[in-house]
Amino acid sequence: MRRGLTLFRTIVVAAALAASAPAMAQQTKDGLNPTGQNPTADSVNEEFLFKQDPKIVGRVTIPDGKAASLIQPQGRDYRAFRESWLPWIGGLAVLGAIALLAGFYLWRGRIKLERGPDSGKKILRFGTFERVTHWMTSSCFIILSLSGLNYIFGKRLLAPVIGPDAFAVVSQYAKYAHIYLAWPFMLGIALMFVVWLKDNIPNRIDWHWIKAGGGLIGNGHPHAERFNAGQKMVFWMVVGFGTAMSVTGLMMIFPFVLTDITGMQVMQVVHSLIGVVFIAGILAHIYIGSVGMEGAYDAMGSGKVDLGWARSHHDLWVEKEIGKVDHGTRRPVRPVPAE
Amino acid sequence: MKAFAVAVIAAIGLGLAAAYVMDSNRVLAYQAFSTSGARVSHPGTNLVGPQWSGDIPMPSGHKPHGA
Repeated sequence: MRRGLTLFRTIVVAAALAASAPAMAQQTKDGLNPTGQNPTADSVNEEFLFKQDPKIVGRVTIPDGKAASLIQPQGRDYRAFRESWLPWIGGLAVLGAIALLAGFYLWRGRIKLERGPDSGKKILRFGTFERVTHWMTSSCFIILSLSGLNYIFGKRLLAPVIGPDAFAVVSQYAKYAHIYLAWPFMLGIALMFVVWLKDNIPNRIDWHWIKAGGGLIGNGHPHAERFNAGQKMVFWMVVGFGTAMSVTGLMMIFPFVLTDITGMQVMQVVHSLIGVVFIAGILAHIYIGSVGMEGAYDAMGSGKVDLGWARSHHDLWVEKEIGKVDHGTRRPVRPVPAE
Repeated sequence: MKAFAVAVIAAIGLGLAAAYVMDSNRVLAYQAFSTSGARVSHPGTNLVGPQWSGDIPMPSGHKPHGA
């Protein structure tokens, strides 16, 4: 009796399996649903979601709403720029500027101080406040530049030399310096803008100066006021780039306050691109203010320049200053032994 | 040289002041983006809505996270 019951159960199960086999075979024969429908094709996919919004956003209940962003394709573009393009652009900008300046130095040599009847006399070119403002901004700029370049090149150039532990420490302090010294730098940019704006308004004299090649081509010196066209370009570059670096830098110091993740990436791209061009431009400024031209450094060193140098490079300004002396609004030019 | 020294001292002083002010007002990520307990949704709502339909009524003017 028991054996008969077991046999009956076996037959029932076998019959059920035999009945279901054709249906299973139909579904798996060629991987298609026999009804002709493809459920996968109708489901929500990545392409469909990106047609609704440039990024795929989920929903989170933790306080960090940004964590809801699941996929942001622009991030791949940003990463490609950050890891592939930026090192090349930065390297070409900085090394290219150094190479150009070295070539210019080899071609032109140091621009010598021309001896004349006014040589040996000194005239005040920049007051103490102007020089403090310049040096505060420039010293911060150097630290910001080096720490900024470390963001781009540090892991590629510095880390292999000093090792990962030392690189981590250096980078940590470089990052602190970058963020904290940005504030006196921004203050310096604002002060320079206020102090030197009136002397940096472009005018017709600048156009003549440019057409004459700034005195670098040919003989003689074109007329110039307190700042020539080249110096005005540096001024507006510093003000323009400094402002752009300040705005984009503040957006990164206070992340996500005014923009989302895409905006943050755009800010970093703009900040880094302007930064490397800014460094290249300032390298030219440093060159012409030091090794490139004899007597130029005194303007920001002691504040007093050789009167003969001033007459050569800023004749209209000298005339105006001497006019002030004649009217009693400025101290007279005193003969001071040349340093 | 004196102007340069004053400028460097001013830069360091302003940098330290900036560091003090920023650090005093800084809230670290683990503090800013953490909660004292598990929270599965906004107060008064749940993840599936009152009808279990996924239609979640939000208070007027409320913007969901990540939107």
